[in-house]
Amino acid sequence: MLLIDNVAKTFGSQPAREVLSDVSLRICAGQYIAIMGESGSGKSTLLNLIAGLDLPDRGRVIFEGRVLSELDDSQRTILRRAHLGFVFQAFHLLPHLSLERNVGLPLALNGIHGARAQQRIDEILDAVGLSSRRRSMPANLSGGEMQRAAVARALVHRPKLVLADEPTGNLDAESAQEVLALLRIQLKQDGAAGILVTHSPAAAETTDEIFRLHRGRLSASTSVHETI
Amino acid sequence: MSAAAFVVLDAVVLRPMRRNLARTTLAVLAIALGIALGSSIYLINRSAADEISLAARSLYGLADLSVESVGETLQDTLYPSIARLPGVAVASPEIEIEARLADRPRASIKLIGVDAFRYAEMQPAIARTGNDSDVALELLNPSSVFLSATAARELGLSKGEVLNVQVGLRVEPLEIAGVLPANVLRESAGLIDIATAQWKFDRLGRLSRINLRLKSGVSLKQMKSSLQQLQQGQALRITTPGEATDDALRLSRAYRANLTALALVALFTGGFLVYSTQALMALRRRREFAILHALGVTRLQQLWLNLSATAVLGLLGSAIGIALGVLLANVGLRTLGQAVGAGYFSQNAAPVNLHPVEIALFAAVGMLVALAGALRPSLEASKVSTAAALKAGDVLSAYSPANPVALTLAFLLGIAVLLVPPIAGLPLPGYVSIAILLIATVAAMPAFIRAVLKIRPKTNFVAYEIAIAELAGTARYAALSVSAIVVSFSLMVAMAIMVSSFRTSLDEWTQKMLPADLYLRVGYVGQSAHMDESLARSLATLSGVSRIEVSRLSEASLNPELPPVVLIARSFDVDAIEDSLWITAKATARAPDDTTPIWVSEAAADLFDLAAGDLIEMQVGEARLETFVQGLWRDYEHQNGAILIQRDTYTRLNGDRAINTIWFWLSEDASLRSVRDALVANLPPGVQYDIRQPGEIRQLSLRAFDRTFAITYVLEIVAVAIGLFGIAAGISAQVLARRGEFGALRHIGFTRGQIGGMLAIEGSVLGAMGVLAGLAMGVVVSLILIYIVNRQSFHWSMDLHAPVSLLTSLALALVACSALIALLSGRQAMGVDVVRAVKEDW
Repeated sequence: MLLIDNVAKTFGSQPAREVLSDVSLRICAGQYIAIMGESGSGKSTLLNLIAGLDLPDRGRVIFEGRVLSELDDSQRTILRRAHLGFVFQAFHLLPHLSLERNVGLPLALNGIHGARAQQRIDEILDAVGLSSRRRSMPANLSGGEMQRAAVARALVHRPKLVLADEPTGNLDAESAQEVLALLRIQLKQDGAAGILVTHSPAAAETTDEIFRLHRGRLSASTSVHETI
Repeated sequence: MSAAAFVVLDAVVLRPMRRNLARTTLAVLAIALGIALGSSIYLINRSAADEISLAARSLYGLADLSVESVGETLQDTLYPSIARLPGVAVASPEIEIEARLADRPRASIKLIGVDAFRYAEMQPAIARTGNDSDVALELLNPSSVFLSATAARELGLSKGEVLNVQVGLRVEPLEIAGVLPANVLRESAGLIDIATAQWKFDRLGRLSRINLRLKSGVSLKQMKSSLQQLQQGQALRITTPGEATDDALRLSRAYRANLTALALVALFTGGFLVYSTQALMALRRRREFAILHALGVTRLQQLWLNLSATAVLGLLGSAIGIALGVLLANVGLRTLGQAVGAGYFSQNAAPVNLHPVEIALFAAVGMLVALAGALRPSLEASKVSTAAALKAGDVLSAYSPANPVALTLAFLLGIAVLLVPPIAGLPLPGYVSIAILLIATVAAMPAFIRAVLKIRPKTNFVAYEIAIAELAGTARYAALSVSAIVVSFSLMVAMAIMVSSFRTSLDEWTQKMLPADLYLRVGYVGQSAHMDESLARSLATLSGVSRIEVSRLSEASLNPELPPVVLIARSFDVDAIEDSLWITAKATARAPDDTTPIWVSEAAADLFDLAAGDLIEMQVGEARLETFVQGLWRDYEHQNGAILIQRDTYTRLNGDRAINTIWFWLSEDASLRSVRDALVANLPPGVQYDIRQPGEIRQLSLRAFDRTFAITYVLEIVAVAIGLFGIAAGISAQVLARRGEFGALRHIGFTRGQIGGMLAIEGSVLGAMGVLAGLAMGVVVSLILIYIVNRQSFHWSMDLHAPVSLLTSLALALVACSALIALLSGRQAMGVDVVRAVKEDW
C-alpha cells in the first residue's frame, strides 16, 4: 500500500542539513507501525513526505501505486483527503466548530453529507466515547477528549492509512493509554494501516512493529506484537 | 531605565512592534495622515485669517473707527458734520468701487477712491513708498491709479501701463502711476482720487465709508454715541477695524469649520486604526502576556509599557504629519488656492509655518489620539486572566459583548444631541452626534456580526461553512478588523449622498432659475459695469426676441448689526413667480397695502430668522420700507442671503435704473445663434459682457461645484484605503494566529485553493458586514449632513438623492477588495510553512 523508496530530504542551504537519508519502508494494509527517534531526527518530515505535503529531494514515495512526486498539489491533496487520516500532538481541532462538525469535516470534504454523514459521525463518536459531548466546543473539552475527537476525525472517512504524530505528547499517562488503545482498536476494526511517530516506548509498544529513525536513517527495531 | 525594565520593554513592546513592522507603520501613517490634514487645514485657515486681518489693517490704517452706511452708500454731506465733531482728529472719506476690467473676461478690481491728503494722515506709510513722484499729488491726477503690489502681480501690470475699467458700457482708461507696497495697501486693489472715482463711476455725492482717527483721550464709546446722534436720516454702521475683520472672517467661517471637520474625520479614522491594530495585537498576544505575568511582570508595568510605546508611535506619527502638513499647506496655498478654497483663500500667500506652541499642540493631539485608540486594548491586555490565557483554545473567552443598554443609550444620545442648536453659528452638535453614532456603531459590530451570521444561508460548501464558523467564533476579532472600514465607508456613503443630493438639487435649481432662452449680464453686485434701460428696450425689439425681463443687483440691509444681503430687483410677473424661482414656503395672504412684497432666500431667512408672512423693515440706500415676506426661495448663489423685489418698487425707491441682467425669451421660429449675433452687434465694442444660454450656465455651475468638492473625494478615497488596510491588518494577524489550524486543514485534505477560498470568503463576508453597517450608518450620517450640518453651515436646503448605482458599485468593489486583500494578506496560509506549523519540530 505504501512504499518509501530511498527517500532523502535536505533543509536550508548554508549549511544544508540532510534530515532524511536514503530512507526506505514498506507498509501493507492493516499494518500498524511506530517510528521512534529523538527530536530533530526527521520523523515529522517523513510523515509530511508520506502525506504528500512535502516532496523528497531524492527517491520516491508510492501510495496505492501512485508516485506522489508525479502528482500535482491538487492531485496529492485529493488523494490525502480520501485515503489518509491524521492525528496531531496539538489536536488541531478547529476552535470555532463544534466537536461533531470537527469530526464530520473529512466527510464533508469528500462530498458526503446528510444522513449518511450523520450516521457515520454518530458511529465514530460512539466508538470514541464522545457521543454526549457532540455539541461541545473544543475549548470546553479536556486534552484527552480533544485527542479522542482527533482520532475520530482521522478515522471517520475510513482512510487506508492513519498518520499519528506524537498523539500522546500533550496528554497525561492515563489519557495517553486510552487514546492509544482507541487508535489501535479502531485501526484494526477498519483494517486501516497506521504509522505512529513517538518518543514514548510505551506508546510504540502498542504498535505491531517499531522502527528507529536516527540521524536521518531508518532502521528496523523489534516486533512487539503478533498481528491480531 | 533598569536593565530588567528594558528586557521587559523589549519583550513586551519593541520586539512585537518590529515583528509587526507593517502594521506598526500603518498605525503611525494613519496618525500622520490625520495630523497632516489637520495641520495643513489649520495653517491654510490661519493664513487666510492673517491675510484678511492684514488687509483690513492696511485698509483702515491708523483709523480707530469706521462709519459705513447700512444701505449701499453714504451721502457725502455727512462728511463735514462728522469731520467737525469734537474728538475727531482726522476723517478720511473713501468710496469703494468694484470696477469691471474692460479687457479681461469676468475680471474686476476693487478701486478705492480716497482724499489723498486725508488718506496720507491715516496711512503715513504712503509717504515712504519710494515712488519717484509724490503719491498724494499724483493721486489728484484724474487719469491716475496706484495699484497694490498684489493687484499689479495678479494683473501682470506695472507703472506706466494702462488699466481699462468698464463703467456701464463705457471704457475708462486709467494710467498706472505706481505700485504701492503691501504695508500701504495689502489686498488686490487700486487707489484713485475720490473725486475722480465719484465722477467717473457715476457716484457723485456718494461715499462708502468715513475712517476716523480720534484725538487722544476720546473714548470709542463716547464717539460712537455722538455719531449715532448725527445720522441725518441715514442708517449708519459704526465699526472698529477689528470688528470689520471679524465680519470678513465670519463669511468664510462655515467653510473653514467644515474643512476642519474633514481633517478630524481623517484623524478619527486614524484613531480607529490604532485601536483595531492594538486590540488585535492584544488579543493575539494574550498567552504571551499571561506568560510574562506568570514570570513576574506586574499588570501596571505592562499597561504603562504598552501605553508609553503607543505614545511614542503617536509622537512619531505627529512628527511625520506636522512636516507633511506644513508642506501640504504651502503647496496648497501656492498651487490650489482658489480651487480648494471656494475663493476664500489667497493664492499669493507667503510661506506658512507652525510656531513651536502649535507644533507641541499637534504633537499632543496625535499622541492623545493614539493613546485613546490604545487605551481599551491595553487595559484589556493588562487584565488578561493568566490561567485562562495559558490554556489552549482561549480565544472564545476573550469575547466580551458590549452592554446592549449602553449601546442603545449611546445611539439615543447621538440622536438627542441633534436637538441642541448650533453653537456660535457652527453645527458642532451635528458633528458630535456623528462621532457618537459612529463609535456606537463600531461598538455594536460584534453583536451585529453574530446576528447576521446566525441568519446566513447554510450550504454543504465546506470552505464557506468553516469561514463562517471562524467569523462567528471570533466576532470580536472580526469587528476590530472591520471597524475602520465601517467608519470610512459610512463617511464615504454619507458624503456621496450629500454631494449627490447637493449636485442634483443644484442642477434642478439651475434649470428652474433659468427659464429664459438667453441671458445677457453686465456687472455684478456693486460693480461699475451695467446696462441702461434704453439699451434693454432696443434689444427687446430685435428680430426673434419675444419678450425680456431685466434685473438689477444691489444691496439691502435687514439688520444694521449684520452684513447686507444681495438685493435682486427684477421685472417679473408676480403670479408666475414660481416659473423662475424655487419657492420653498409661501405666505397664505397677499402683502398688506402699506407694505412691499419681497421674496427672501433661505439663507437670509435663517440669518434674520424670517418666515413667510413676516413683516420686516428693510433699508435700501437711503430709503427704509416696510416689507412683507411673500415667500422663501431656495438659493445656492448668495450664501449670505438674497432678497428679490420687483424692479418698479426698487427704481421708485432710489431712482437707480441701471440693469445688470437681461433675460431673453425668443419666438418659436427664432434662431438662437442669430439672436445671439444680433445682441453682440448691438453692444458697444471693447466692453465685457456675458451672453449665455441656460445650458452653459448650468455647466459652469456644475463644474465649479465639482471643483469645490474635489478635496472631499480625495479624503474619502484615503479614508477607505485606510479602512482596507485595517482589514489587511486584521486578516494577516488572524492568519498568523491560525497557522496551526490552516496546517491541520491542509493535512486533512484542504487544497491551497480551498484555503484561499476560505480566506476570500472571510474577507468578503467581513467586507460585506462593514459595508452593510457602513451603508446603514452612512445614510443616517448623510441625513445629519443634509438636514442639520449643511443647513446650519451654509443655509442651503436640498432634496435627498442617493446615488444608488454609485453606492452599489462602491459597495461591491469594497467587498471584492476585501476578499482580494484577505487573500493577499493570508497568502502565507497557503504555503508550505503552514503545513509545518502543525509541528515546528523536524
